[in-house]
Amino acid sequence: MPSGRATSLTINRLNKYFGGNHVVKDLSLTVAPGEFLVLLGPSGCGKTTGLRMIAGLEAADSGEILLGDSDVTHVLPKYRDVAMVFQSYALYPHKTVAENIGFPLKVRGIDRATMERAVREAAAQVHMVDYLDRYPRQLSGGQRQRVALARAIIRRPAVFLMDEPLSNLDAKLRGYMRAELKHMQHALGVTTVYVTHDQVEAMTLAHRVAIMDHGVLQQIGTPREVYESPANLFVAGFMGAPPMNFVRGRIEQGRFVGPGVALPVAGEAGPRDAVLGFRPEDARVVAAGAGLFDATVFAAELTGDVTLVTLTLGEDTVAIKMPKEYEADFDSRVAVDFAPARGFLFDAASGARLPAHLVRAGAA
Amino acid sequence: MSIAPRPAVHRRWLEPARIGAMSPLGGIVAYGLLGLWAAFVLFPLYWVVVTSLKLPVDVNTGPYFLPWVDFVPNLHAWRGLLVDDAGPTFRAYLNSIIIAFSSTVLCVLIGSMAAYALARIEYRPRLVSILIFVLALVGACVAVGVAGIDWRVATAVALALFVLLARALGRRFPGAVHNGDILFWIISQRILPPVVTIIPIYMMFQSVRLLDTHLALILAYTVVNLPIVVWLMYDFFTKIPIDLEESAQLDGASRFLIFFDIVLPLARPGLAATTLLVLILAWNEYVLALFLSTSRAQTMPILVAAMNAGEKGILWWTMSVVIIIMILPVILMALILQRFIARGVLLGAVKG
Amino acid sequence: MAVPQPAARPSRVEVTASLASAAPLARGEWLDRHARWLFIAPAVVMILIFSIFPLVASLLIAFSRVRLRAGTYSMTFVGFGNFEKQLVGSEQVHFLGQLTAFSPPAWVVVIAVAALLLWWLVGYARTQLTVIGLLGRLVTAAMLMALTLMLAATLLSGGQIGTLGVTLFYVFVGCAVQFLIGLGLALLCSQITRGRAFFRVVFFLPLMITPIGIGYIFRMMADTGKGPFATLWQWAGLGGFSWSADPWAARLIIVVADSWQWIPFIFVVLLAALESVPRDLVEAGEVDGASSWQIFREITWPEIAPVAATVMLIRVIEAFKLVDLPNIMTAGGPGTATESLTLHAFFAWRSLDLGQAAAVSYLLLFVTVVLCVSFFNLVVLRRRAAMAR
Ligand SMILES: Nc1ncnc2c1ncn2[C@@H]1O[C@H](COP(=O)(O)OP(=O)(O)OP(=O)(O)O)[C@@H](O)[C@H]1O
Ligand SMILES: [Mg+2]
Repeated sequence: MPSGRATSLTINRLNKYFGGNHVVKDLSLTVAPGEFLVLLGPSGCGKTTGLRMIAGLEAADSGEILLGDSDVTHVLPKYRDVAMVFQSYALYPHKTVAENIGFPLKVRGIDRATMERAVREAAAQVHMVDYLDRYPRQLSGGQRQRVALARAIIRRPAVFLMDEPLSNLDAKLRGYMRAELKHMQHALGVTTVYVTHDQVEAMTLAHRVAIMDHGVLQQIGTPREVYESPANLFVAGFMGAPPMNFVRGRIEQGRFVGPGVALPVAGEAGPRDAVLGFRPEDARVVAAGAGLFDATVFAAELTGDVTLVTLTLGEDTVAIKMPKEYEADFDSRVAVDFAPARGFLFDAASGARLPAHLVRAGAA
Repeated sequence: MSIAPRPAVHRRWLEPARIGAMSPLGGIVAYGLLGLWAAFVLFPLYWVVVTSLKLPVDVNTGPYFLPWVDFVPNLHAWRGLLVDDAGPTFRAYLNSIIIAFSSTVLCVLIGSMAAYALARIEYRPRLVSILIFVLALVGACVAVGVAGIDWRVATAVALALFVLLARALGRRFPGAVHNGDILFWIISQRILPPVVTIIPIYMMFQSVRLLDTHLALILAYTVVNLPIVVWLMYDFFTKIPIDLEESAQLDGASRFLIFFDIVLPLARPGLAATTLLVLILAWNEYVLALFLSTSRAQTMPILVAAMNAGEKGILWWTMSVVIIIMILPVILMALILQRFIARGVLLGAVKG
Repeated sequence: MAVPQPAARPSRVEVTASLASAAPLARGEWLDRHARWLFIAPAVVMILIFSIFPLVASLLIAFSRVRLRAGTYSMTFVGFGNFEKQLVGSEQVHFLGQLTAFSPPAWVVVIAVAALLLWWLVGYARTQLTVIGLLGRLVTAAMLMALTLMLAATLLSGGQIGTLGVTLFYVFVGCAVQFLIGLGLALLCSQITRGRAFFRVVFFLPLMITPIGIGYIFRMMADTGKGPFATLWQWAGLGGFSWSADPWAARLIIVVADSWQWIPFIFVVLLAALESVPRDLVEAGEVDGASSWQIFREITWPEIAPVAATVMLIRVIEAFKLVDLPNIMTAGGPGTATESLTLHAFFAWRSLDLGQAAAVSYLLLFVTVVLCVSFFNLVVLRRRAAMAR
């Protein structure tokens, strides 16, 4: 295949057990050629295990993995044509940067001159040409990261796999490397699966985000879709900082009824326990009685660009982002207001999003 | 004036003057005892060096300690061994070097490979197969020893039987042993006193006409030291981050390349220490050489031991020279290897 | 933050294009496919040929009378004949020693040991009881009882000990001395601040010397007529004394030589263990006002005990094989007073009595395995488990 060959990756009903521990459950997804897919989820949810199965480092218990059209489920890792960047970078400490980058070519018995040219080219892409003779221990974290990247790109694999490649870097460097990564993936056009538990990374890097919890795929979609239209309580609560506010209540007779809340609801939703969710940045604090429902001020904290107001509502607390000039007295009564379309209703038992939405009082 | 009262005299000796220091008395005792032991270690070595410079008459007329003061140093023993008697000495020396170094290289290579395999690859040999193997082995031995059947025939038949039976019964009984058991089995070979196995080994080498050859000793030394290598290196390999190997695997490297190009270089401190230890053991080995070499393949320890048999009694001066020239290669290797050896190398393995 | 952009979008050279399609990996493919077996096979095959097969063959020989004839041999099956000869027959004095009627102190010791073992077994049966655990302990107890009886009938009742007793003396007395001194030196060395490297190097020297050489060195040292301490001996009135003529003196000097060689090993390992004891544990103890003895007892010792147990296991295993020192220093004499079991087997082999040689070595193997495995299971594993907790 020529370079620039972007390959699709398809996973069908993949399962993995560690002893009795069902770590990946029926995982199915398709990554389009050249797509940057981010696998996002809390620690221990099976992201790494999924990635390692794609790489072939871990055998799947059932299901299949397709690269392009070929089934690679039972193919040894070295024949899969995938490259992986490890969280620890996995640089060989006894080899120089050039030897590290050139290792995949050395393994393939490529002649010296070609190899040196390729190493220089790959090093240039990650701005590491000046460091070719150093050893990994003489490099900073970010530089090591780049060497690992160069080693992955040098052989033009069909798929890049990256397992939290930025998590060992400090915050500033992480932001910088993120941009570099995104640019490079775009320039190379290689299909990429990227694992992280950092939602900012996921939002900024991904073409599409796949969110996992306890081994189950919760939702897959563009960052915008996942953020603005969460499929369930887990996704809603996982994305965003601070996360979405939840108010517990019931849907009865076309109304959502909670502690001090009674709002008309339109859509297909029979009587049931439900949760109302809305994002802190979508809501405003207004004078008591002037909003959708009233609440009591618990605290107001200035975090820099915004003031984060925490309100109590029965047993629930909700957080709302207000302009930084906003001030409020402890325990004063206020009201919360937001566009009814920005509220989400979930089934309390299953967590699934309900096909219903709020409507402004009076409009119902 | 400090407010604290001056400590009583006995306090001054028993309490440290500064934080983190020893009390003066403790220091004296510690250095005294350590110095005493150092003297106990060094004096015999000094005596050997001095004796190697003495004439027989200096040795026989009582203890003299200081060259040039007590007696006139003389190189006759050195000359006798290295010039007049050069033939046998150098042959034994060469034998020792060939045997010790070859067996060390072989042993470290085979042992590290096995240790690596046990650290990284999962094995599940069936219990039944092992049982059948032992039975086939016993059968073959009885056939050869008691019934007098040719050993080649017996071996072939036993192997064939083993393969057939293992295939037939292997699936029926699922019990299997694990890597840990294999590791323990290999390491436990070290418990075997060499005398237990040496007689059949002697007969075995005799029947293939390898007695008194380098090869026989090299093989025997390799086997007795194998458990040590496997044990020490296993510990090292498990400590190498597996990421490195997985990454190489994805890059297309074969197991052998991963082992020789990545794992071994990373285990260099352990490798150096293990090599040194095995080399010392092989270099100084005595019992196996006593059984397996008679003249041509005689090693230095045998040469040294044989000096006892002279009718003039022991030639202490010659003996001293031999002891000295026997230490030299070991010290040389220790100096070469020691810069690779991390401190506390043995410790890791011993901790278990 | 300004992200420096690559000066120009990197041009895709054909080089890398060709790399992806290079169909490599053909070389050594067969090797790689079978790596799983190729890695472990050499070691296993070597051990099978040179260790397991001889073990089986040796057992066979132990049950036979073997006659060597020019280049070949003949074997006759004699059942337990060889073992009987060692344990109850004409070789009994050589192997077990001169068995005599128990003297009063021998009775005391036998009864005390029996009571102790019984107490231990009952205690075990009361708390946790598994079939394997009980069987193992019964074997251990039986072995210890048998050895006690042997020692009571010989040593404690005024008889001479045989090669078994001599070997046990080398193992237990030698290893105990070596452990105590090695630990003491390591403790001292871990306390001092200066000169540690010096002591480490000096103390390591004896390990490098061939045991044969050490045998000769200590013969020189012990020579009361011409040795370095001759003046001292004469002054003490022992000028005519010969170490190798008195059984206990000869055994003692062998233990001294053995210790001289092996204390360094124990010292080096224990010192490394001491140095790896976390500083903050010790410091916490100091802050809490513990005395040095308490710190050792409560903090340092539990930390190094697993290492100490393992290192002693190694030492005991090797001590059972002791042969070069007695052969060189005394040739087993006076009489058979310093003969270790390995030497005993070697002498039998030299007189071409292969059956006896194999029987003796199997007896040695049996004692070694039972004692070492017991030590491993009852001491080493337990120490490690205590650390892991
Ligand atoms: N080799 C293994 N043997 C047994 N259990 C394992 C193994 N590897 C992972 N697990 C378990 O599988 C689950 C998923 O692990 P995994 O490493 O895939 O999580 P992750 O999503 O990558 O988490 P993190 O973000 O912390 O890296 C965890 O509960 C873990 O304990
Ligand atoms: Mg992970």
